[in-house]
Amino acid sequence: MTILLLILAILPIIAGIIIKVLFVPASEGIDITGAHVFFTIDLPMGGLPISEAQINSWLVILSLLFFCLFLTHGLKTTAMSKRQIVAEWIVQSVENLVKSNMGEFFMGFAPFIAAILGLSACSSLLTLVGLFPPTSDINIVGGWAILTFILITYYKMKAGPLIYIKSFGEPVPFLAPLNIISEVATPISMAFRHYGNVLSGSIISVLIGALLTTLSQLIFGNLPGILGDFPFLRIGLPAILSIYFDLFSGCLQAFIFSMLTMLYVAGGFPEDEYFRRKRLKQAKKKENMQVIENTNGGV
Amino acid sequence: MNNLDIITVNIWQIIISLANLVILFLIFKKLLFKPVKNIMAKRAAEVSSIYDEAKKTKDDANELKNSYEDRMKNAEAEADSILKDAADKAERRNEVMLYESREKAESIIRKAKAEAERDKADAQEYIRKEIIDVSTAMSEQVLGREINMDDHNNLIDSFIDNLENY
Repeated sequence: MTILLLILAILPIIAGIIIKVLFVPASEGIDITGAHVFFTIDLPMGGLPISEAQINSWLVILSLLFFCLFLTHGLKTTAMSKRQIVAEWIVQSVENLVKSNMGEFFMGFAPFIAAILGLSACSSLLTLVGLFPPTSDINIVGGWAILTFILITYYKMKAGPLIYIKSFGEPVPFLAPLNIISEVATPISMAFRHYGNVLSGSIISVLIGALLTTLSQLIFGNLPGILGDFPFLRIGLPAILSIYFDLFSGCLQAFIFSMLTMLYVAGGFPEDEYFRRKRLKQAKKKENMQVIENTNGGV
Repeated sequence: MNNLDIITVNIWQIIISLANLVILFLIFKKLLFKPVKNIMAKRAAEVSSIYDEAKKTKDDANELKNSYEDRMKNAEAEADSILKDAADKAERRNEVMLYESREKAESIIRKAKAEAERDKADAQEYIRKEIIDVSTAMSEQVLGREINMDDHNNLIDSFIDNLENY
């Protein structure tokens, strides 16, 4: 059962590799493009292209689903398995992160932050197995950023829309346009930061690969036969660079994205105002209850 | 149209990606956070219940220990009093027995004395009778005739009384 779930968690990635091998034509030379489009569903506003980015992000979600099941199946209160220790470590560390950055009020955000971290990091890490990283597609990251923007706005309006609108007129009313621009710029900057980092990693990898191929042709080109064509310099060095561009940068961008989400949402939330209003509301409710009781008592 | 351009904005893709994130959020919430937090809360409850139980057991043990100590102290006192009682009783019984045995001995002595007295009296009577008989017989032989018995008896009695007076 345990092994079956683990296999199911790995299977989507293998499926992604098989799909890529079967359907995506190999690129030649310096070829910097977006995701390969398998087919397009006709919809208004440009249609929906089912691209590698879409497929891969679904595969990541599927893989994470089975990974969750793998971690949490057969939980025990005593004599914990290693899986359970890992699961508890993940839950506790994400909760600690949320608690220290957002406070007790936002503890419900912990699974959301974990989802951003997991989806972003795993999507970026797909480059390690040679798949197209969904995070280097602006649409994917843009969707997350828009969701973050919706959350930021929702929590800013928690204390009433009037306060939210008023906040644009601060510190002086004529700065309102700039405030609106900065408000809109938040999700765009978040999306472009993440997307740009991952994409630039891929582009640099391709460029370095091409450069090393050219260099080794220059140096070893005089060797006879296949030895002359073999790009010796591409052994080793791209792997070391990939540690930075794929592993480190991917995890770092996931962390930055979730960190910014936490800070923006918690920072935009007018905490004092919200709790003041809540207290007032509760006091009013109590008063109403007392009035009702009094009238009932009078009758 | 095989590949997308580097930057293509497509509203459907954005919506789908947004939905994907929400779906993954729900997956994490239901399948990872909920069971793990449940099991952690359960474990915390179990641990605290075990602690409570241990504390209760310790309190019970302490109480038992105290009561035992009290009882031990009492037991010493009790043992002392029992010993004292026993000693007292034994002494009393000793005295009683001593007294009784003394009594008995005295009564035996008294009885023996009385018997001796009686024997002495009997012997005296017997001797007197014998003397009377003998003297009567002797007198009869000496006088050669029958004498008045009563006179004789009186005579001898007075004689013996005189003897006794000496």
